[in-house]
Amino acid sequence: ENESMSDSLSDDCVSQEEDVMTPAELISKLEEAWLNEKFSPELLENRSEVVECVMEQLTHMESNLQRVKKGDAKASVHRMEIDRIRFVLSSYLRSRLQKIEKFFPHVLEKEKSRAEGQPSLLSPEEFAFAKEYYANTETYLKAVALKRMPPNLQAVDLLKAVPEPCLDSFVFLQVKERQENIFVEPETDDQREYVVDLEEGSQHLMRYRTIAPLVYSGAVQLI
Amino acid sequence: MFCEKAIELIRELQRNSEGQLPAFNEDGLRQILQEMEALYEQNQADVNKAKSAARSDLIPSIKLRHCCLLRNQRCIMAYLYDRLLRIRALRWEYGSVLPANVRFHMSAEEVQWFSQYKKSLASFMRSLGGGAGLDITQDMKPPKSLYIQVRCLKDHGEFEIDDGTVILLKKNSQHFLPRWKCEQLIRQGVLEHVVS
Amino acid sequence: MTSLSTPRCFWLVRFAARETAMDPSEVEFLAEKQLVKIIPNFSLDKIYLIGGDLGPFNPGLPVEVPVWLALNLKQRQKCRIIPPDWMDVEKLEEMRELERKEDAFTPVPSPHYMELTKLLLNHASDNIPKADEIRTLVKDIWDTRIAKLRLSADSFISQQEAHAQLDNLTLMEINTVREFLLDSLNCMYKLRSNLQPGSRKGQLTDY
Repeated sequence: ENESMSDSLSDDCVSQEEDVMTPAELISKLEEAWLNEKFSPELLENRSEVVECVMEQLTHMESNLQRVKKGDAKASVHRMEIDRIRFVLSSYLRSRLQKIEKFFPHVLEKEKSRAEGQPSLLSPEEFAFAKEYYANTETYLKAVALKRMPPNLQAVDLLKAVPEPCLDSFVFLQVKERQENIFVEPETDDQREYVVDLEEGSQHLMRYRTIAPLVYSGAVQLI
Repeated sequence: MFCEKAIELIRELQRNSEGQLPAFNEDGLRQILQEMEALYEQNQADVNKAKSAARSDLIPSIKLRHCCLLRNQRCIMAYLYDRLLRIRALRWEYGSVLPANVRFHMSAEEVQWFSQYKKSLASFMRSLGGGAGLDITQDMKPPKSLYIQVRCLKDHGEFEIDDGTVILLKKNSQHFLPRWKCEQLIRQGVLEHVVS
Repeated sequence: MTSLSTPRCFWLVRFAARETAMDPSEVEFLAEKQLVKIIPNFSLDKIYLIGGDLGPFNPGLPVEVPVWLALNLKQRQKCRIIPPDWMDVEKLEEMRELERKEDAFTPVPSPHYMELTKLLLNHASDNIPKADEIRTLVKDIWDTRIAKLRLSADSFISQQEAHAQLDNLTLMEINTVREFLLDSLNCMYKLRSNLQPGSRKGQLTDY
């Protein structure tokens, strides 16, 4: 009877990847993406494949639960798990949306100037949302204030007006793959730059800018 | 002194902590815009004089007025934008229907902005997971799989918990229920958490 | 050129705190994934969760489940929880002594030792021998470590360090100082970079 709840947990979803991911690995990936997005000062690459696959798993499990007999002992366990996964997914998407709103002109600019074949920063849904947010806000500012100002002051360059993410923010990280000779910029003029090795499993506090590529590659996890 | 009204607008927001929205200061805004118009006209006049009558002594005051114009513009933009951020936060706090006392403090254009923002957000949430949709304004806190003791404050009829069992919520009855399931009913005043 | 940041950028600071923040309840959420042994009093065949398989469950036979499920079953009086090996008075006394002696942070019994102690002692203290002593010992270890952490954080800021290694610190401990430490560091960075003329575009001459 439990087979029906778990049979073919969207096999096609998780095996679309080159390295076949188990559902458990998928959830791990989601949690990693959640933490990275939460702690990174800039918007990270979108992980639409993970989001879509997780949603498929949830939808599949939900519909199984609908079919199940009342009083089924396993139902509440499945439901608790669904609630946990849904929380991580929602929180992840909220983090991203918050950053999209906060940096909206820069996020759109980055997307516009993206080279062919480069991965997209925003999912198609996020892109639509960002454009609407931009248009809505620009229209509002123009209507309420800008068009009532002197002629030479009626334009505002939102790219200049809205601050960019501060990539020099400090972050905590845990090392997943050993890295050598990571450059540490000095904080004051009388300090000298130096390098550190990041051993696997070690934890560090440092500026985001230097280790940003390592977050992208999965070599470090923000914590 | 120039730009004083502009600073007053900013201070108004600083005085009201995060989450609060004071009434939209249409008067304050209008006064600043009027000041900008006056400064601009004075500058236009002086710029012409400076060019035609070679009055380079007017240049410092032209520059000063220009700085004031930019500062006024900046303060107005900051005021308007900060209010939008507060309004946006309210969507996430209260849901898509704002409390009346908040709406009362919003300008018509702010209401319009909010309405558009809501729509965008709803459309985004609907489109998630290839159209399956997900309400990300829910699940704001991690779920707890814990049970709590509650007392029923008013009749609420049948209430189904996850494993299918149905509880009858009769006034004054007590139950041991999943906490997360009770939270909404506790907020609504139907149930009361009994702390032993 | 104009900037939407007010002359004192007050809305920027507000936004920042919320984004990089992790609520203690979220740390606890992660801790609840840790596995713990239970002795169920019911029968159930294997459950195939998305995150992995659990069970089967047989009365009297120990089985490993995540803490979130163990707590739920315990509350519904369907199991007894077996405390983890490290949740033992003698072992914790040793750890406390070591932690008090050393300047550095000693290795922890579990990356979620604080959360697990709180959760298990709050909901299953009847399954844990010498629960009160355990509670006190863990709190002592925590207090010692947090005191060290506060000193390190202060020193990091005042020495204007650019990097620190923090092995052995748990997520809950990091989270305790996170907001204060990161906000201070980021504020100092902004102050420092504002002193350099023309250094950042957009963060420009105030009018």
